[in-house]
Amino acid sequence: MPDAATLQQVEPTAASEVADLLRRADTQGQAVVVCGNRTKARWGVPPQRADVVLSLKRLNAPIEHSAGDLIVTAPAGATLADINALLAGERQWLPLDPWAGDHCTVGGLIATNDSGPRRHRYGAPRDLLIGVEFALANGCLAKGGGRVVKNVAGYDIGRLLCGSFGTLAVITSATFKLSPKPPASRTVVVRTRSEAEARALLIAITQSPLTPSAAEVAWPDTRCLLRFETTVAAAEQQAAVLTRLAAHHGATAEILTETEEKPCWERHATSVRRHAGTLLRVGVLPVDLPKLLTALQSLASESGLRVVAIGRALLGAVLVHVDGDHAQTAALVGQLRTRLKSANGHVSVLATDPEVAHATPRWDEVGNPAVQQLMRAVKAQFDPRGTLCPGGGPGGLT
Amino acid sequence: MPPVLLQALSRTLPADALLSHPVDLLTYESDALVHLRAMPGAVVLPRSTAEVAAVVRLCHEHGVPFVARGSGTGLSGGALPRRDGVLVSLARMTHIRHVDLDNQYAVVEPGVTNLEITRRVAPFGFYYAPDPSSQSVCSIGGNVAENSGGAHCLKYGFTVHHVLGVEAVLPTGDVIRLGGPTPDHPGLDLLGVLIGSEGTLAVVTEVTVRLLRRPEAVLTLLAGFPSIDAAGEAVSAIIACGIVPAAVEMMDRLTIDAAEAAVHPNFPPSSAVLIVELDGVEGEVRELFSRVEGVCQRSGAETVEVARDNAARDRIWKGRKAAFAAMGRVSPNYYVQDGVVPRTRLPEVLRRIRDLEQRSGLRIGNVFHAGDGNLHPLICYDESIPGQAERAEWVASEILEYCLDAGGSLTGEHGVGADKRASMAKMFTTDDLDTMQRVRCAFDPRSLCNPGKVFPTPRLCGEVPGPYRAHPIERAGLAERF
Repeated sequence: MPDAATLQQVEPTAASEVADLLRRADTQGQAVVVCGNRTKARWGVPPQRADVVLSLKRLNAPIEHSAGDLIVTAPAGATLADINALLAGERQWLPLDPWAGDHCTVGGLIATNDSGPRRHRYGAPRDLLIGVEFALANGCLAKGGGRVVKNVAGYDIGRLLCGSFGTLAVITSATFKLSPKPPASRTVVVRTRSEAEARALLIAITQSPLTPSAAEVAWPDTRCLLRFETTVAAAEQQAAVLTRLAAHHGATAEILTETEEKPCWERHATSVRRHAGTLLRVGVLPVDLPKLLTALQSLASESGLRVVAIGRALLGAVLVHVDGDHAQTAALVGQLRTRLKSANGHVSVLATDPEVAHATPRWDEVGNPAVQQLMRAVKAQFDPRGTLCPGGGPGGLT
Repeated sequence: MPPVLLQALSRTLPADALLSHPVDLLTYESDALVHLRAMPGAVVLPRSTAEVAAVVRLCHEHGVPFVARGSGTGLSGGALPRRDGVLVSLARMTHIRHVDLDNQYAVVEPGVTNLEITRRVAPFGFYYAPDPSSQSVCSIGGNVAENSGGAHCLKYGFTVHHVLGVEAVLPTGDVIRLGGPTPDHPGLDLLGVLIGSEGTLAVVTEVTVRLLRRPEAVLTLLAGFPSIDAAGEAVSAIIACGIVPAAVEMMDRLTIDAAEAAVHPNFPPSSAVLIVELDGVEGEVRELFSRVEGVCQRSGAETVEVARDNAARDRIWKGRKAAFAAMGRVSPNYYVQDGVVPRTRLPEVLRRIRDLEQRSGLRIGNVFHAGDGNLHPLICYDESIPGQAERAEWVASEILEYCLDAGGSLTGEHGVGADKRASMAKMFTTDDLDTMQRVRCAFDPRSLCNPGKVFPTPRLCGEVPGPYRAHPIERAGLAERF
């Protein structure tokens, strides 16, 4: 890919300008790379060609909040921070806490389907998105979904765009359903003596009535972070119940209040929010999480790589950051894939250096040849000339 | 229906899995939208993914359309057969293939009913969250097709939030898997677009669903209000308190009367009732529930009954869930509409509906999911009176106009199907529909998979958007528009 710094960057301020630009590029055979605030500039596969960088960051107003309907509509360049600042006045929020932090744009959030610990309760962008407006490569402006939380009219184009890495269409605006902001929060930090204990405790939590908003695991300083966001009394009560449950499983638990928990969650997030090295997204069955951590332990100690992992313990969605020698990193990715294969786990390389990318596939296979063909067909239908971020799609097919 | 295809099907399937005698086909003429009927060319009843794939492959080879059908409870004609096509009934694929409680998922065949999943895991304290009113009979395959919701989707979301993966047969007969019990599969989120595609992209042959732990506490109240507006104000006040109930349902006098006549739920003699249910951990639910009770009182509730036990809760829900069918007690015929408005626009839209009731001379019952603005007006008519059926249809379409005027949607849960496809152009532009058609063309370039549904004017794939021009394969006489 040509050096992004030398490319022509355009920053439209209206959806119609986005459409015009795409229409021209598409006609002239130019490849367009889309970006927002570049909080995930290293994510995804660098496109095979790039002539124009289309930044949506100035397409950032107005944000329309309908508090009584619990929805917000925001243009692609609005940041999560902008949105949540506006919603806070009505004690509502868009409960996403993505890897990239809250300076990411709406467009980038959707294109990467980036989420964080609160995915446990609230889901990822694909679960909260109810409508989307976008420009197709041919310059048509279109929409999917709507501005009501319940709607099954037509295909859900919004969900298709979630995680499509800007290869199908350019998002210009999105509508999300919102939640009331809970009045209180407590975090319980649990440390178990062994991975078997951790496994038993996690299963006990799923079988308990507890309703955490986040249930995280962190490694190598192995611990679980459980967050209860509800009324003050209910948060305290649940934290106490969890503490007893942990003790029953031989684990220690520490309850953090709102002021104490903030730095703890910040450390947790930033442990993998690194703008160098390799970032992996790993999916496993929740009960296989200890197996994953054991594998990381042995692979890290064999290779001398610095490895950090955090993840949604009860969903099996884990982010792994690897720092160190490129060849060793590529080998670790390969070995991790081998070890997880029998357990239906998979490993995607979200961000890495070119040396690692050359030595290991970015993605596991997306499925059998029919699935691969289908994904190529979707790309060909949306962007027949390969104008949008060619080769940059998820799964390596689009 | 080419005889050669029938012969091929009879060679491929066991004798009891192929129906082609007109008497046998009658059952399949319609789904629950009974006024749209068509006798299918043939019906197949496969028992396995391999049989579904074989049938679809044969249809593909012969260029014959096919329509998948679950339990036939759909209310938009999504499973309306084609005279020139094969109806694929999934009613014999009813096995629960795998249950994994530690990882909270189950793998089921498409003919398994929604409630059967919950029944299977209930002894262990788990359940499957989406709960459409027809949950005791509707199939999970149909739920995937329609992205079904239910009374509790305000808090728990729709089918798309609870389906982790599917196995499906593409219109070519190829079998694919999308998603699965582990999260974050690489590639495009085709699962997200397949769910809710109303059977127009593929035939789903296996579904992996997420199971949830039963909440520790459930509290339900039934409040009677002097008017729909007062009940609506109570809902707004609950939301403004920062409470998301598991369910908020409203019924007006006419639907209360119907429910009373049918199942005697002992609802209060008010102009409107509100059912509010909260669930979660005990402490939280008790605290928030007392606030909800207070809100109802302050909003002018005439009565507030708190369900003291499961039997009382079941009675309240029975009254609500029976509302549609119960209309038969107060009207010879009725038309169920399904539209959505932004919740804050409910009072305005309900006023327009009341006005329409007066103008049309037809009674309109209102039962709706008040938390998310999903209306289900029940339009009463008597088909023995000339012109009334047509007027009811007109009233139903007027109501949809009101929903769209208010920035809402054509359908919140019943789907577009055959019933509302002509209205799609009122909600979506040509470019919006063309984008959806691009998805269709990627999955089903020959438009064999449930054609004639969802889209107002089906395009042939490869057609240039714009004014109508005959497609090359139309000109060659190889395809026709329907």
